[in-house]
This record gives sequence, structure tokens and C-alpha cells, in this order.
Amino acid sequence: MNPCFYWIDRPVSFRPGETIAAALLRVGIADLGPDGGQVRGRVFCGIGACQACIVAVAGEGPVEACLTPARAGLRLSPQPSLGLRHD
Amino acid sequence: MARSPSLHVAVIGAGIVGAAAAHFLAAAGARVTLLDASGPAAGATGASDGAVSVASKRPGPMMDLARHARAFYGKCEADGLLRGLFHRRSTFLVARTALEAELVAQHGTDLAAAGERVLDVDRPALLDRIPGLGDGVCFALEIPDDGHALGYEITERLLQKSSVTVRRNAPVSEIVMRAGQAVGVAVQGELVPADAVLVAAGIGSVGLLGLGDILIPRKGQMIVTDRASAGRPAIDGHLMAASYLAAKRGIVRDNAHIGLVIDPLVTGQFLIGGSREDHRADQATDARTIAAILRDALDLYPPLRERRVLRTFAGVRTASCDGLPIVGPHPHLGGVMIATGFEGDGICLGPFMGASAARMILGEAPAADLSLLAPRRFAGAEALA
Amino acid sequence: MTDLPVLVVGGGPAGAAAAVTMAESGLRVLMVEQRDRLGGAIHRQPVAGARQIWKGPARHRRNWAELAGRVERAAGRIELRTSTVFLGVDGEGRFLFDDRVAGGVFARSVRAAVIAVGAVERIRPFEGWELPGVMSAGGAQVLLKETGQPPEGAIVVAGSGPLLLAVAAQLAQAGNPPLAVLERGRPWRSPRALARLLTAGPQLTEAIAYAAALAVKAVPYHAGSEVLSVRESGEGLEVRTRIGGAERLLRARHLLIHDGLEPNRAGMPLPAPEAKIPVFHAGDGREILGADAAILDGRRAAAAVLASLGRAAPVAQLDVSLSKARDFQLALAEVLHSPAALPSPETLLCRCEGRRYADFAALPADASAREIRLMGRFGLGVCQGRFCGPMIAELLGRPLPSANPPRWPLRPVSVAALAKFSIDETES
Repeated sequence: MNPCFYWIDRPVSFRPGETIAAALLRVGIADLGPDGGQVRGRVFCGIGACQACIVAVAGEGPVEACLTPARAGLRLSPQPSLGLRHD
Repeated sequence: MARSPSLHVAVIGAGIVGAAAAHFLAAAGARVTLLDASGPAAGATGASDGAVSVASKRPGPMMDLARHARAFYGKCEADGLLRGLFHRRSTFLVARTALEAELVAQHGTDLAAAGERVLDVDRPALLDRIPGLGDGVCFALEIPDDGHALGYEITERLLQKSSVTVRRNAPVSEIVMRAGQAVGVAVQGELVPADAVLVAAGIGSVGLLGLGDILIPRKGQMIVTDRASAGRPAIDGHLMAASYLAAKRGIVRDNAHIGLVIDPLVTGQFLIGGSREDHRADQATDARTIAAILRDALDLYPPLRERRVLRTFAGVRTASCDGLPIVGPHPHLGGVMIATGFEGDGICLGPFMGASAARMILGEAPAADLSLLAPRRFAGAEALA
Repeated sequence: MTDLPVLVVGGGPAGAAAAVTMAESGLRVLMVEQRDRLGGAIHRQPVAGARQIWKGPARHRRNWAELAGRVERAAGRIELRTSTVFLGVDGEGRFLFDDRVAGGVFARSVRAAVIAVGAVERIRPFEGWELPGVMSAGGAQVLLKETGQPPEGAIVVAGSGPLLLAVAAQLAQAGNPPLAVLERGRPWRSPRALARLLTAGPQLTEAIAYAAALAVKAVPYHAGSEVLSVRESGEGLEVRTRIGGAERLLRARHLLIHDGLEPNRAGMPLPAPEAKIPVFHAGDGREILGADAAILDGRRAAAAVLASLGRAAPVAQLDVSLSKARDFQLALAEVLHSPAALPSPETLLCRCEGRRYADFAALPADASAREIRLMGRFGLGVCQGRFCGPMIAELLGRPLPSANPPRWPLRPVSVAALAKFSIDETES
């Protein structure tokens, strides 16, 4: 059985060596939220440059989903979106 | 009112002070040319935190002036000029050792004596306001009437809402005098005529007026993090460590000293500062200093471990040798006004001091007694003698 | 000092070529790569168990196998640090790195540096390009190489450049042919430049193979066509396009966009051969010349490092080959050229800070780079201007000057990791 991490509360299984981005997209999670955010996260450039696929990691600093190998047990969630201030 | 419809003022320096002076001069009917070697907010104004804070001021005239200046922000926010750009928020003065607690308590007494509201907050109340605050915090005071504004936003608004002519990339090489009276400024060989000149050029004022003995650059390195919350400050107040007060009160003078502040921005990001490096006028940042600031910040507010550093940057404060700003007429050069030396207090004092300098140029009295800031106090120094 | 390594940033073809050339000449090399293995975007390997659907041209595979073998054989001289992000050079001249496995920032003294960090994709913005479901074509390609699996649901590929063709063909090969490929350029309008392209052997063979793969799956390739806007609709995207002069709505799950490549130079230390620690750029990170030229360019940079250290450098006819690659890229640019169009006021330029074209247009015409950053908030966000920077440069018709002094970190870095930095560990 493949190991899994958690996107919000949903378990997402991954192949060892795979990035978080690859695992999320494979199960159809393209919208990295947050719900109703002004600009929502998404995997875009695949090489760490655009920073659009940043996900929060419980207890640690956020990471680029496209650069970071998935690890079993990671608890991931959306990063805060932009506020209304500059819109 | 000494208001001449033909009065033309050249303002040197498009930081917050110069922009405010230019705005209020133009509002009073003067013709204003605002010149900057780079552009609006290119110096310390654009590289600073946004504390409009009385809590951080040294007791004495600075504390009193900061109260006037903060009230001026409130007035400008209410009358529409700065609407949406000035936000009230608390400053928390926090101590992590018994010695620091003494200092914070003393500072609270001084603030109260200046008429400022000072509230005691015990640890449970503090944790309620700032969840996650470090275990080491043993004493804190809340100064509830402070505020926040971003220097570059204030500068932009002041210029937007005025008829000032802004000249970017216009370094002033000289104030042109005739018969003891300023007649204009020289910009790359061109004479820009003016009836009065205001020098508000921060550290650039040194070269223009020969103030090398009086003004020194004091570099501050700072950090901006990513967002911890969406479109609102991530914590309910500005965290100011006792180490910051120690520097402001002149207890510590050491280029390696970190005066720690954790400033929650309205974007949800944190601005964390900062170093106080005398005689450093460059804008470079180094990992040694930045890491030291972050270690101290993590100790005070551990939830920062879940943040990323987006940028590091440095601003150059312009400090005077006696710690007070220099605001008022040049003692000998007719028609030349000076407004500089605000050190790290330019964002707080800027609009008020700019407005005051404008009034002085127009021959009116400023709204507060600024005689302690007059340049003539340095009349012993060669440059102003 | 003489024992200090030469730094190579980036483990793609240019970085690998530079590293092996220097190591084989007797230098110690410190090679850092942000991913957990070498290869770069071009030679991204499938993860264990993934199907390799598209092996790519044989010469690319041969080239990489050869380089990877030489890296292995030179392992004694090449210290390889993977999962390590180069953060730039600080105000005290330290080269800084973020070790993502250990979770700490460290500095290393080096005697020279070769920066070979490849390209970033250019995007011409339109309303909705920031939505989930919209990916860069290059990003989608990298994921496809790793997983062997195309995204599920209907795909539209749009923008400009040969990568559109390659990605579309690879998706078709992997079992999900795109609905359509929209190429903004009109190649037939530049017959002379087109003729110049036809003289390029390997690239032409590659293009023909891609075109054949698309033809087999009946994927339409529309030149002179573009996406006008995109919005969310139900579970997918509603893509408003202009195809051959007529507006058409396409429904898709994924929209892959790409408008060419740009050297990834944001905030990088600039080439300074006379500096105390000389810096050289190589590969697509220096100039977009493609994967074949990147290998040569890596060798050229290595030769420059060796020369700057007073060592004999292997001499080769590199310049001729590089200038051929340049001619090819110039002809390609001419063939696919399309005039810049102003985005609508509502179009996001800066996705990081949510800044729109209207916000940019409201800045004073003579706004300084600093005002564009501070008051426009362009280039202030998490991507540090890597995407809105080229957009704004195109709108202004001139490049935006970079921050001076150069800023570090080049990439956002964890507060906890940076707090662990200490100068005691600097020398090693």
C-alpha cells in the first residue's frame, strides 16, 4: 500500500519519490485554496519559481508543493489568500 | 497670513517629510517643485516599519511631539486626506527578564506622565490577545492609542492629492544663494528658481548643507515574512521588546544590538526589525544580522516558525548627534528651511513635521513649539556657524 | 583558498557540464540542486513505478546519460548537495544555501561560481490566467515526465513557442490528446525566417515527430489564435478564444499556457569575471539557446572559470556552435513574433499580490522601479517578480532595473531555517 499525507483532512496517497504537487494533481486536487480566496493556490510552473503552489505544513514553514517530496503523515492545508486591501 | 500667490518653493527630498511639506505648501497656494535624486519614498520612508508610535519615543520632547504627530494622523484620516491609510492599534511593550521588566515599567511611568494611556496586561490577558507569545515574556504594558501607517503609501497620497510638480531623478547639487538669500537650486547644471528652499533630504542633507558633524547614518536591517492571515493584521498589536526601548532611551549603543519589534502589517504579513548600525549608509543586508534578529523574534513570538522570509532590506535612518530632529530656518542662509534628522521616527513625525515646516515657510507658527528642534542649536558647529 | 570549491548552482545540462569539466580539470566542485536529483527540467526522470511515456529525442537521452556518468565518475571531486536552494549572496559576500532536508541555512566559501538555473516561462496575461486549472505548459510537462500520467479531463494548450507543440504531443502520447493547440504566432507570414529554421537538423526532426504525434490523434493546431479570457464554470474552465479570426468558447479542465522562455536571473549575482569571487552564468539561465547548447555553454563557463584561476582550459569550437543555436532562436522568435497587446484593466499582472493592469496603468508614467515595486506592489510578492517582471518589461518596452544592492533571499526561506544560520559553520 502506498503511503499517504493529508490535504486538509483528506488522505492523499503518493508514490515514494513523488512531489506533493504530483500526488495532489493525480487525485484531481488542482485548487489549493483557500475557499473563497481572492487568488487561490495552484500548481503552475513546476520549478519553484512562481510560488503559486505554496502549501502550509502544520508546525513548519510552508513549502512549494512542486519541489517538495511527499512524506507520509504530512498535514497540509491552504496558505492564507490575499486580503481585500489591495484589490 | 503671509500668503503670496507667487511664492515658489523648492523642496529637496520626496520622502514623507518633503512630500508632506510640499502638499501643505501647495494647499496654501504656493507653487511647489519637489525634487528627489531618485523618486518618492526612495530613501528611509520606503524602507521602514510603519509604527506611528508614541510608545517607542524617548521621554521628553520627542514623546510630546509624537503625541502631536499621531493626533495629526488622526485628523488627516478623519478629514479624508489620509483616509484608509492610518489605523489605530495597540503597542505592547514586552519584557523577558527582571531587568527588562524594570525598564518597561519605567517607560510606562514616563508615558503616563506625558499624558499617554498605559494599561497593565497580565500574562493570561496577553496570551488572549497574542496567542502563542513566547514563554519568556514576564511583563508587558499595553499602549492602546498608537497607530500604523506605511510611509510610501502616505507619501503617495500626499502627492496624489496636491498640485505639486514632482521631479524624479533630479539630484540637487547646490542651493543657489544671492546676497544671502536662496534664489533656487541647481539640478544637473540647471537652475530651478525658487523663493524658498526646504531641505528634507535625509542623509542627502549632509552633502547639501555640510552637516557631516551633526548627522550620521544609522542603518537598520529588517525582514518581511509571508502572510499569516488574509487581509488583516495577524496579531492584535505591535510587539515592541524592551531591547528596542533600551536603544531608544540611549541605554545601549552598540552596532550589534538588536532593537526587536514585530510589526503585524495589514496585509497579514510581519515586518520584523531591526539593527541599529551607526555610520552605515549602505542598504545591504547580511545573514549574520538577519539570523540574529530572527532568533530573537522566534524567542519572543514562536509562531513565526511557520512563516517564510520573503525579503530582507535595510533603511538608512538619519540621526542627529543630540538625538533630536533638526527643523527650522537655517541660521544664516536666508530662505532656507531644514527638516531632517528624524532617525527612526520619520513615519510617525513626518506628516506633522512637514506641515510644520510648510507653516514656517509661509511665515506662520507651527502647531506645536518646535524651538528645541531649531538648527541654531548647532550654531557652534562649523557648518551652521 | 586554493582548496575552496567552485560553486555550481543548478543540476541541469549546463550545470552538470560545467561541474564535470572543472572536476576533470582537477578543481573541487560544490554542486547544489533544488530538487532531490539531477537532470533539471529537461531531463526530469520518472519516479519509481511511473510509466515513462515519452522518452524524448535519442540525442538528449545520450547526452544526459553521458553527463550523468561523468558526474558519477568525478564524485570524488564533486560534492553534490541536492534538495538545496541557492539563496544568493548577502551583503558580507557570503554564498547562502537553504538545505531543505536538514531545515537550515548555511554559507560556504567558494572561489568562483557558475550559475546555471535554467529558464522561467514567459506568460502573456489574460483575464483568469491565475485560476486553478491553468498551468504553465512547462510545469505540466515536468509533472508529466515525473508521473507518466497526463492530467485527467479536457486540455487546451495555448500561447506561443515550440514548447506548445512538444507538450501537446507528449500529452497525446500519454493518452490525453489536447482539444486544441492555439499558437499566437503566424509562422507563414515570415517565410524567410521559416526557411532558416528548416536548416536546423535535430530540432526539425523533433518538431516533425511532435507534429506527427498530434496528427495521429487529430489534435488541431491553430496558428494566429489565442486565449482571450478564461473563467470557472461548474467543475471546469470556460476558455474564450479567438481561432482564425472567430471567437469560440472551449470547455476544458486544464488550460496550459506558455509564451516563451526567459533566463531565470531574478536577484542572481551578476557575471563579474573581475570580482574577487568571479561569477559566470551558463545555459538557458544566461541565454535561451536550448538543451544542446546548454551543455556547450556549461563547458564554456567552466573554461572561463579555469581561465580566471590561471589554469589551462580545454579549448573547443564552442562559440561557433553557440552562435548557430542563437541564429536558430532568433529565427524562431521572428517566425512566432506577435505584437504585444494591452491586457484588459481587470487582468492580473501580479498574482502574488493581486495587482491588476489597471493598478499598473494608474502609476505615474515616469514611475521609478522602486515606485513600481512599493506603490504598485509589483515584484514585491512571493515570486519576487519572476512573472510580473517580464510582463511589465514588455508593457514598458524596457527591462525593469533590478534591486540594488541585489536582494537575498532569492527564494522565500523558512524563518526557522534562516534563524539557524551561524557564521561558525561558514568555513568548511
